[in-house]
Amino acid sequence: MDEDKIILSVKGIYKKFTKDIKYNMYYGMRDMFINPAPKYMTLRKQEFWALQDINFDLYEGEILGIVGANGSGKTSLMRLISGIYPLDKGQILARPGKNITSVFALKAGMQPLFTGRENIHIKGALFGMTKDDIERKMAFIESFSELGDKLDSPFGNYSSGMSARLAYSIAIANDPDIFIVDEALAVGDSVFKSKCFEHLKNYVKQPGKGVLFVSNNIHKLLRVASRIIVMDEGKLIYESSDIQKALHFYINNCLRHIDDVRRQKMLETVEYYDL
Amino acid sequence: MDNNHSTNELRPLYENGRKGFTARLSGYVRNIKKYSYLLKQLIRTDIVVAYKRSFIGLSWLVITPILSVLVWVLLHSAGIIDPGEMDIPYPAYVLLSTSIWSFFQGSYSITSNVINNSGRFMVSAKFPHEVLVAQQIMVHCINFITPFLINIITLLLYGIKFHLIALLFPFALIPVLLLGTGIGLLVALLRIVAVDFSRLADQLIGFLMFLTPIVFAPKIELPWLSNIVKFNPLTYLIGFPRDLLTQGKFYETNLYLMCSGVSILFFFFCISVFMKYEERLLERLIIV
Repeated sequence: MDEDKIILSVKGIYKKFTKDIKYNMYYGMRDMFINPAPKYMTLRKQEFWALQDINFDLYEGEILGIVGANGSGKTSLMRLISGIYPLDKGQILARPGKNITSVFALKAGMQPLFTGRENIHIKGALFGMTKDDIERKMAFIESFSELGDKLDSPFGNYSSGMSARLAYSIAIANDPDIFIVDEALAVGDSVFKSKCFEHLKNYVKQPGKGVLFVSNNIHKLLRVASRIIVMDEGKLIYESSDIQKALHFYINNCLRHIDDVRRQKMLETVEYYDL
Repeated sequence: MDNNHSTNELRPLYENGRKGFTARLSGYVRNIKKYSYLLKQLIRTDIVVAYKRSFIGLSWLVITPILSVLVWVLLHSAGIIDPGEMDIPYPAYVLLSTSIWSFFQGSYSITSNVINNSGRFMVSAKFPHEVLVAQQIMVHCINFITPFLINIITLLLYGIKFHLIALLFPFALIPVLLLGTGIGLLVALLRIVAVDFSRLADQLIGFLMFLTPIVFAPKIELPWLSNIVKFNPLTYLIGFPRDLLTQGKFYETNLYLMCSGVSILFFFFCISVFMKYEERLLERLIIV
């Protein structure tokens, strides 16, 4: 791949968390009052690596699929890239001035007692948009979300699919350069999801755009991703542009702890339902 | 995986170096300015949402303080409370004192819960958290205005005459706001990693009301209580604005100025601690 087309580079990222609630609080207090600069690379009792030596690049025009079993560190990694969690070890590099927009929890910041239209202003402002930006993009959001009159109903009455329509439309209206979609399109009806996938594919054709698409839905990834990275227990264990091969690796890896006979049977079941 | 490519154009996305207090503070101010529309939206949301499902809506802003005034008037007229020697009518005294106390206690309460109440929101979207702190303080100040105006009307009904110098009252409240906010910001961090300390702090703040001349006069017969009241900075931080408004005089000016200075310094200390550790502790927050 063309090195000049890298828009985001993740280099040697580590992140650790604490398993036990009381140790979690104790270390928090200790790091705050006693030892503000603990040796980060040393694991203390009850700590574990949520992310270990993560390295990858996101190229312009790419939809990079990120898969991994539950708890493999995908969301922690996305939170680090988004800047929600502080970076302790490693580097995240990007072209200067790049706008990163992430969609994690669809309803984050949305107010159930306010209308969809009022929530466009709240969520848009949360993404850093000004009043003028939001008003300029209102027609696009109305049209893309296809919510019609329902935009003037309370957001609390929206179904998950309608919430997804609105949240996704606002996020894309923010015109991100690096767009992080973390399971955000798991809900929503087939028509809207297909529209979003088509939109994402066209979106990354614009100069300087790329998408990090976190999902465990293999079927979706086969259709949308241009490259896949597989995560397991906080490590990046596989990377390939051969989507089919990467997804087979991922499924086999998920089933690695069971014996051959059961694995074969499970593999057939997964392929039946997911591929 | 090969990562030996050229990354000439790329720059670190987030600075993980240690920043000084001034750099952090100016960053805070810049972010609040940049996200001013979010701040406006959050303030509007917070105020409107509380009354959105009510038929009488924002009228509650007036009804609640009127009820509170009535309670104190009734208690006093029934002879239940004996406040001691007073320069102004007791209901007027207690009304204004409790109002200033609520201003202090409210500023502590909202800032000390800022991370706990917004934790899910904070880990789901990237935005400067100082906007949330600013929103809480501004909503608190806005919520103070209506009951305060009711109190002014009540004071007029009790025959209190206001002097021109009473216009300084809002400025005289700044130290008590900064003290409450400062303590609140420290406790907000403790709520994540030291729940026992934060509960203790809540209890102490509640208890402090009884050690501050709010429902009783500063001139007390009991020597031990009198000493506590004398060394309690809130005696001056609350007494000064109260006397300024009701009598147009300065109550213990030197002590008030000293306590104000300490409160301002304490606020800057607390905000520097909050800025330094808030992001780091947020990852330890267990959202319930």
